[in-house]
Amino acid sequence: MRHAILTIAVGGLLMGPATARAHHAFTAEFDANQPIQLRGIVTKVELINPHSWIHIDVTGDNGEVTNWAIEGGTPNTLFRQGVTQGSLPPGVEVIVDGYRAIDGSFRANGRDITLTDGRKIFIGGSSPGAPTQ
Amino acid sequence: MSDPEVQMHCRRIACLLAMGIAATLTIPPAFAQTPADPDWTVPRTPDGRPELQGLWSYATITPLERPADLADKEFFTEEEARAWEDERLREMNMDRRDGTAAQDVSRAYNDFWWDRGNSVVSTLRTSLVIDPPDGRIPLRVPGGRGRGFGGLAGLGGRYDGPEDRPLAERCILLGSGGAPMVPTFYNNNVQLFQTGDHVVLVNEMIHDARIVPLTPRSGLPEDIRLWLGDSQGYWDGDTLVVETTHFNDRRSYQGAAENLHLTERFTRTGEDTLLYQFTIDDPTVYTRPWTVEIPLWRNHDLMYEYACHEGNEALAGVLAGARAREAAAAEEEDR
Repeated sequence: MRHAILTIAVGGLLMGPATARAHHAFTAEFDANQPIQLRGIVTKVELINPHSWIHIDVTGDNGEVTNWAIEGGTPNTLFRQGVTQGSLPPGVEVIVDGYRAIDGSFRANGRDITLTDGRKIFIGGSSPGAPTQ
Repeated sequence: MSDPEVQMHCRRIACLLAMGIAATLTIPPAFAQTPADPDWTVPRTPDGRPELQGLWSYATITPLERPADLADKEFFTEEEARAWEDERLREMNMDRRDGTAAQDVSRAYNDFWWDRGNSVVSTLRTSLVIDPPDGRIPLRVPGGRGRGFGGLAGLGGRYDGPEDRPLAERCILLGSGGAPMVPTFYNNNVQLFQTGDHVVLVNEMIHDARIVPLTPRSGLPEDIRLWLGDSQGYWDGDTLVVETTHFNDRRSYQGAAENLHLTERFTRTGEDTLLYQFTIDDPTVYTRPWTVEIPLWRNHDLMYEYACHEGNEALAGVLAGARAREAAAAEEEDR
């Protein structure tokens, strides 16, 4: 039996300089003061534009299950790299390190998504050590 | 799902990720650097024009302007290019966790989701700007528009409603798709279609289609202004030239907006290469015209949809974040 955990750490961190240019301002949607770690079971993967969403069921210490939505990037990049809707099927357990939405809803950005054995998923591209084109 | 099933799926993910890495290997810019085939001739359409059709990529990490530390260097050597790429890819890497919390949030998701390309342009130029010769955007006229990418409408500092937000957040325009087209974080692909009297440029970023007539027409009235401008195409020998004016004043490229006269040139240079150049001419903003060059390479993959509006939950999230911050500030004030 898997025991999912939910940890929210709130720190008095200062806002940094300009954000990376992207479809939208991440710092306007997610709170740098609310780093979060979620461990849960994938329930649905939405490969939609402009941003994909991975939904996971997280069981709190009191046994209550909450469905969280984790924001990703455009699915087009994933399709080109061979990832499909079935690549992360319901039932897989993942650990998400990210930041919670400012409005307090059960949404977060997924800075790192890892499998429970420690392997990172959705990592590559221009990461150091990744093959160049 | 049982643990063995999970392991199987996990292996499948790893396999697919490995396949993904292999897929990126199928589109090497190095290919574009191979010397031109002396026997290659421009393929032509039935009416004798150069064949430009297909899916072309403009992904590159070459900067728009030449970095200051490369001021006297117009071209890299191969060795310099590889070293510069390594350094730049390390800087841009979204998986690094060495910044502030705000930087960490802005890095948003792993590098896997980004598709900027991993290489400099095949010509090994140190900047996309080729004129002025110093590779830098020329000086602006005093009082001209500020530099910018995403447009003038919605400068991003207010959150009262969707109209306050930048064009990209509203899925109206993501400037990289054109016009002109410039490399960005993903979706750097354009598909060209040709008939005897029209060319259509469908951009993967926000799936805008520019329909360019090749037969001369009378221009639009001055007061008709368009997000993508009004384009007229013609052939200059084997080069397709597209001139675009009548942009509206709510979008811009590097500050050039309603007075921009954009000239784009497309020239086949090889079986899998198409040279793209554009000139920005806006005397109300810049002291002189300037020109960008990007060698496009054929993308043998598919064009994918980018239905930005359909799934744009982020805009609601941004506005909800602003309301939450206002409520927190009001609560703080009441104490």
